[in-house]
Amino acid sequence: MRGLLLPTVWATVLAVLLLGGALGPGYVLSYDMVWVPDLRLGADALGLGTALPRAVPSDAVVAVLDEALGGMLLQKLVLVVPLVAAGSGAAALVGPGVVARLVATSVAVWNPFVVERLAIGHWPVLVGYGVLPWVLLAGAEWRRSGVLPARLPVLLILGSLSASTGIVTAIAACAAAAQRGRRRWLALAGMLVLANLPWLASGLLHAGSATSSADGADVFAPSGGGLLPGPLAFLSLGGTWNAQVVLPSRSGALGVVMTVVLAVLAVLAVRRGWSQVPAGLRRPLVACWVVGLSLTVATWALPGVTGWLASTVPGAGLLRDGSRMLALAAPLTAVLAGRGAEVLVHALPDAFSRAMIAMACVLFPVALLPDAALGLSGRVAAVDYPEPYADLAAELRSLPQGDVVLLPFQSYRAPSWNNDGRPVLAPLGRYLSRRVVVEDRLVVDGRPLAGEDPRAADVRRALEAPDERQRAAGLRDAGIRYVLAEQLPDVDVPDVEGDVVRQLAGLILIDLGPAAPEPRAPAAWMAVMSLAWGGWIGLAVIAFVQWMRDRRRRATR
Amino acid sequence: MGSIIAPIVSILVGGGLAVATLTGVVTSQTSAPEQSPGTINTPEFNYGATE
Repeated sequence: MRGLLLPTVWATVLAVLLLGGALGPGYVLSYDMVWVPDLRLGADALGLGTALPRAVPSDAVVAVLDEALGGMLLQKLVLVVPLVAAGSGAAALVGPGVVARLVATSVAVWNPFVVERLAIGHWPVLVGYGVLPWVLLAGAEWRRSGVLPARLPVLLILGSLSASTGIVTAIAACAAAAQRGRRRWLALAGMLVLANLPWLASGLLHAGSATSSADGADVFAPSGGGLLPGPLAFLSLGGTWNAQVVLPSRSGALGVVMTVVLAVLAVLAVRRGWSQVPAGLRRPLVACWVVGLSLTVATWALPGVTGWLASTVPGAGLLRDGSRMLALAAPLTAVLAGRGAEVLVHALPDAFSRAMIAMACVLFPVALLPDAALGLSGRVAAVDYPEPYADLAAELRSLPQGDVVLLPFQSYRAPSWNNDGRPVLAPLGRYLSRRVVVEDRLVVDGRPLAGEDPRAADVRRALEAPDERQRAAGLRDAGIRYVLAEQLPDVDVPDVEGDVVRQLAGLILIDLGPAAPEPRAPAAWMAVMSLAWGGWIGLAVIAFVQWMRDRRRRATR
Repeated sequence: MGSIIAPIVSILVGGGLAVATLTGVVTSQTSAPEQSPGTINTPEFNYGATE
């Protein structure tokens, strides 16, 4: 790993410049990214809730680690470290040459994929993205030496914090480490299953409700956006379905220029620089790029097929947001940009020209996506929670047990205190120390998409009752004891009969009285998930044992 | 002749890009804020938009 100090420093500079205000005091709340001071380790985080395990095991990991580090510091680390790892990892993949390494670092850290995933709050995808180059390196080392690197199981765990990123990491691990021989395949498959076991097991337990709305495939299909049609946008690593998280610079001419520059550098790299890429990494890099781009193009071109799969095959809804698979294309894109830049620079006759063009190559991702700087131009700046939130959380701790429902019953909010109305998944659903039932139906383009959580459906039905007494009774039957109503401008909240326990600025807490028992996971589910978590932790133990063996082997040499 | 052209072109490209990077970053930070995708006046908060 010699020669990685400079790229690591450069990656850190870029990560800090990109995140900007996100690293300030407070929490980054953007779309799916909702961090709170102390996340509750509840049934949902453990895969035992009624909803699909979309945040398993990521929520459980956060709930445990924030006990030691606090939610705010942990979020900063989760935002910075993967970007630095992605940059230095790309530099490690690209082969020799300072220019190649720095350019690969720039492209890996500063690109539309990182920007779009950060804006939409898919932090486990970014953690997997940061781990990806290191999975390729460790897998290739395992194939070359025949000895399992102790870091590989740890990387697989970190790269599998959600279902979609677990699939990306698994594809990369297979591409890098696969070799003929049943033992190798069994060992690799075993580790991949263990790394993904919590969400796999929970997903199987929820198989009855694990099909998704077919409409969603059309909505969540990858998209070009701006001047670039789909497949061309994917080549430069952009393609999210959500036009609201695409930066203005990406939608205009600069997006086209970035695609052209990357294509030119790639052609130079393929013609003159490919031999400089370490031999053991070439095939895995190409395999990942082909799989990542193919899946993205397939979900873009055939949303009907994706929709049919999502609505028919349990778990196939994972394929709906196909642009997440572009993470697989990023390592080769960065490597080709780096090698192409090295070829270009060395074709120049004098040191001054080489230095100037090297600087241009290192800076071009920033120049062509300038509004990504300083927290995506303030879009992901950290904010403080309103004071009443802490008061409400304290009040709830002193009240009798019971689940909470959050009204208005809508999944997303756009609070004025969050960067002037930045959309975010209702934060109170995660802020409070109780189980909070929130709406899981999403609204895209003003069109509601069916949710999957049966408990949310029960609450929805209860709230549709004609009067406040019947609504309260329906909620109690659904196991809800408390109603927390947020007063939002121009949004009506249905009246519900009950005692007002606390009234804070914009928040009313109502006690409905003793409710039906909260739905608990069957004992068989508990047993299955205990085994799943045991296996997942077991993989970390395997890593530790392997590390001890490595140490002993080195000591005896 | 070639020995003169290369430094001139590299100054234009390298220097131009460095200036463009700085200008782009500063301009994007100081330009008027965009209309937030969420609006607190909408009864149903959109998770996103495809257009």
